[in-house]
Amino acid sequence: MRDLSVSFATRQGVVQAVDGLSFDVGAKEVLGIVGESGSGKSVAMYSMLGLVRDANVSISGSVRFEGREILGLSDTEMQSVRGGEIGMIFQDPMTALTPVYTVGWQIVEQLRAHNDMTKKQAYVRAAELLAEVGIPDPKSRVKHYPHEFSGGMRQRVVIAMALSCNPKLLIADEPTTALDVTTQAQILDLMGRLQATHGSSIVIITHDMGVIAEIAHRVVVMYAGRPAEIGPEVEVVRAARHPYTWGLLGAVPRADVKSRRLVTIPGNAVSPLDVPTGCAFAPRCQYRMEICDQRPALRGANDHVDACWLSDEQRLAIRSTATQRGAS
Amino acid sequence: MSDDVLLRATDVVKNFASRRKVNGIRTLNTAVAGVSLEVKRGETLGIVGESGCGKSTLARCLVQLLPVTSGSVEFNGVELTTLSRRKLRPHRRQMQLVFQDPYASLNPRRTVGDIVADPMRINKIGSDAEIASRVRQLFETVGLDPSSLRRYPHEFSGGQRQRIGIARSLSLNPSLVVADEPVSALDVSVQAQVLNLMTDLQDEFNLTYLFIAHDLGVVRHVSDRVGVMYLGEIVELGEAEALYETPLHPYTEALLSVVPELNDTDAPRRERIIISGDVPDPSDRPTGCSFHPRCPAATEICTSEKPAFVELRPGRFVACHHPRNTDSVASTN
Repeated sequence: MRDLSVSFATRQGVVQAVDGLSFDVGAKEVLGIVGESGSGKSVAMYSMLGLVRDANVSISGSVRFEGREILGLSDTEMQSVRGGEIGMIFQDPMTALTPVYTVGWQIVEQLRAHNDMTKKQAYVRAAELLAEVGIPDPKSRVKHYPHEFSGGMRQRVVIAMALSCNPKLLIADEPTTALDVTTQAQILDLMGRLQATHGSSIVIITHDMGVIAEIAHRVVVMYAGRPAEIGPEVEVVRAARHPYTWGLLGAVPRADVKSRRLVTIPGNAVSPLDVPTGCAFAPRCQYRMEICDQRPALRGANDHVDACWLSDEQRLAIRSTATQRGAS
Repeated sequence: MSDDVLLRATDVVKNFASRRKVNGIRTLNTAVAGVSLEVKRGETLGIVGESGCGKSTLARCLVQLLPVTSGSVEFNGVELTTLSRRKLRPHRRQMQLVFQDPYASLNPRRTVGDIVADPMRINKIGSDAEIASRVRQLFETVGLDPSSLRRYPHEFSGGQRQRIGIARSLSLNPSLVVADEPVSALDVSVQAQVLNLMTDLQDEFNLTYLFIAHDLGVVRHVSDRVGVMYLGEIVELGEAEALYETPLHPYTEALLSVVPELNDTDAPRRERIIISGDVPDPSDRPTGCSFHPRCPAATEICTSEKPAFVELRPGRFVACHHPRNTDSVASTN
């Protein structure tokens, strides 16, 4: 993805939902996109897949999937990509499934849309898929309706659908947000295992840094439609560079360590109608400088980059005082 | 009752009629299945559990928003379950609620100033002028600009609305604040602001909190003691630090092991215990221990005999035939 920008013309003005987002997803890689509500993480993915249908939207940039430009494909061309080579898992499994058809029917429909299969073959395959995602008694469960499944089981059905055509890339939008923690663990575990067996790449969108740490190899931290920081998961979690990432990490109450006062980011997320011309985070940033009125470019070493004007020395100083305060 | 206990619940049961019928008779959904607990003055008791475990129903039963099916709730030494509505009122003043959804819990047609003033007007406390100045003071306390008193809820963000809900709950100077998932609808950065605010207010007004949440990290952060609920029962209760460090109930242990961790140190993470299956239907409770169908440690006795909720260590209660980590508890104590 190169320089993706998505904006909506509204009565109040232009909403820049995504502003210059670039990243790569390698083969068999799990990329996490993290950000708070309104940071543009979902819109970026949906517009990439041609799922944003709004007369007032304008999308620019370039998205290449295996070397082929997919931004701006016609609907029919896109349909063969979506659900075929690129699978999607949505946040709410109840709305992702049609309540009026059996889950088997829904999987079969997708299988037959992308493959040359008879109904009978497709039903057999649907049952196999349900078995693969850990649904007990799959042969009879294909005949059940979505409401007859629990939340976790429904999400398994959605995953089975997404996997039905052996996608090379799986896009999961908050796949576990609607689930309880034990169910979330089951689903994350399942996604990890399936990723290993199918060898597909995954882009997982979430607001939960914990989920990112659990499953992702690389992370994109988004703020106000822009990438704030991009890097390997371990580095971003242990040696975050951007002040927003520091705040995000410090604000999470932890179940695994003794609690301390939470770090807060003052103020609220910026209105997308009124994103500052300089650094989008500057109004809430406690390390704001004069230069922050200009927009910082993504810079850094190797594959760990961030958009902030702070120098390496300044960051080092800030981080060491923070650790001292944390220790005392 | 000792002086330091503000609220004591004994064997609280709440049944709802379910839609399911067996032999033509409606079965009962047991949302709360015999909960006993004490909330001490000035502490935060956290209740954690997954959706459908009955934690919200328990909260509503404790503050008498729902009549209990059986059991007793004593508040300040007074039995509440048998009081008439009118006699309940002075006690109700002392316990206030903060709700989960800051959008649904504020009347969209009233100004936020009125919303915060209403409890005082209803209870006829103070003159109009006194109420007005108290509202301004409450707004400042929770970090809102008093000049926004005449605005309506939709003009505020989620975090600000939750602050309004907190201001309302404080307006009658309650001794107990029951907060039901107060931060789960908020983004992490805003969640941190509200949690810090609640901690500050507790210190300032000497509040007692009953804090209900599904997020294990949030509960550990705010609580002095924690109760873990599963299928309408408290399966484990104890000091927050001890409970999180050495969980005794297999459910608590599994729950803690699967919380996604940031993994920001080299310390080895807990071994993940992924429990299979889903929470059973509360109208069709398992025999014996209600967790046994999913429990990795279940044996014969767990299917037939219900484990008692016993004090295994001082202040540490657990309902399990085969408690975990008992060796390490013995060694750390």
